[in-house]
Amino acid sequence: MPEFGIVLAIARKDLLQELRSRAVTVATIFFSGIVLIILAFAIGQEERVLAGAAPGVLWVALAFSGVISAAQSYQSELEETAFEQLLLYPVPRATIFLGKLLANWLYMVLLGSLMLPVSAVFFDMPLGPGWPLLLLTVLLGTLGFGLIATFYAALTANLRARESLLPVLMFPVVVPILLAAVRATGAIVQLGNFSLSLSWLQLLAGFDLVYLVVCTAIFHFVVEE
Amino acid sequence: MNQTMPSNPNRPRWLNALGLITLALFGVGAYLSLVVSPPDVNQGQLIRIMYAHVSVAWVCFLAVIASAVFGMLFLWRGRKIHDVLAVASAESALFFAGLTIIGGMTYSKPTLNTYWTWDAKLTLTALLFALLVGYFIVRGLLEDPQRRGRVSAVIGIIVLASLPFNYLAAEWFRTLHPAKSINLDGSGVQMDPTMLQVLLFNVGVAAFAFLYFLFERVRIGRIEIAREEALEAPSGSAEVVRV
Repeated sequence: MPEFGIVLAIARKDLLQELRSRAVTVATIFFSGIVLIILAFAIGQEERVLAGAAPGVLWVALAFSGVISAAQSYQSELEETAFEQLLLYPVPRATIFLGKLLANWLYMVLLGSLMLPVSAVFFDMPLGPGWPLLLLTVLLGTLGFGLIATFYAALTANLRARESLLPVLMFPVVVPILLAAVRATGAIVQLGNFSLSLSWLQLLAGFDLVYLVVCTAIFHFVVEE
Repeated sequence: MNQTMPSNPNRPRWLNALGLITLALFGVGAYLSLVVSPPDVNQGQLIRIMYAHVSVAWVCFLAVIASAVFGMLFLWRGRKIHDVLAVASAESALFFAGLTIIGGMTYSKPTLNTYWTWDAKLTLTALLFALLVGYFIVRGLLEDPQRRGRVSAVIGIIVLASLPFNYLAAEWFRTLHPAKSINLDGSGVQMDPTMLQVLLFNVGVAAFAFLYFLFERVRIGRIEIAREEALEAPSGSAEVVRV
């Protein structure tokens, strides 16, 4: 399938660019850490309350960082008319979206896998025997988040006030993702109730599937000039 | 600025008639829900708020669906009138969503003694309101009519697709916490037949109001398009542009 190779090539381009500049990596890792600390201060010092809030804090940190990385993946394209040249390639526009999505998703999965143990230490959250399910939650949650973030980042890329607009537009859409991911994480680490987490994971998977189809189908209307 | 105006800037007769019919139906609906309907067993006279609240909520979702469908038609055919219809529906949806939230808060204050509960449907409507506000923010930022129509159609489709997930998430969020769950709707399926008829009549009234808003907004939209095209056209060939 030649399209799949193009998707990989675009993802590779974005990841390579990030590997060389490290602009987003440094910013988002520290930003996630700072969000963890700020929320810990805001929640208070009672150990039990902190541990209870841990899944929510983890996903809020991931969500805020995800907005930065998705916005940046188009920000860099705006220089030197890079995006126009990317659009000139004789490939379906959807492959550009999927390539960018793949890069953003991989990046967010890495960030999530890093933040999981960090928040486990900060908030006294035992990862325990449910860690494969936790990893699945990170995979599905960041995919849904990445889908909406990548899509709306393309939509807002050449608008005025895009930095403030992107979170305003995307957060109402990703509420079910955040809710389901937080509940699944909570069910795994706090309740140890794996079957409960599975129903939330199903919601995540359904969201991912529907938006993967919808966003891929209508992406070319967003970038068409 | 040339004075190109569409042939008939006035409101057509049938539209005025539709408005008057809507107003009359609204009066009948108010009479039915305030006088004819019996008080509820559990909620007493408060049930009368429900008629207004539920009917605007249903029509709000109808308007969201209409907006997405007209958006898809615009993406498919590229005709400006579909964009106008999509915006008209979205504006009505925003209006009805606002009414739904206000109605829900009015309803929950006396029944649950709080203005805001994280009830599934109320949360869903609040999210929908935020999504629709986003739709209009983006619309306001785009100048080119074609691109504006495309992008708003895309957002309309995303908003429609988000509804079932928002609903499921909000619903499960509640049901997984039985400690907090207070059954808001004393109505439900087992409803008094008179009450159900009154409710359905009020839904019909709200739907008529939606139709009236839609046609009126489309009329204004046509004038807007004509004006935009007249301003774009070179001043020598100022003609009445039909849409």
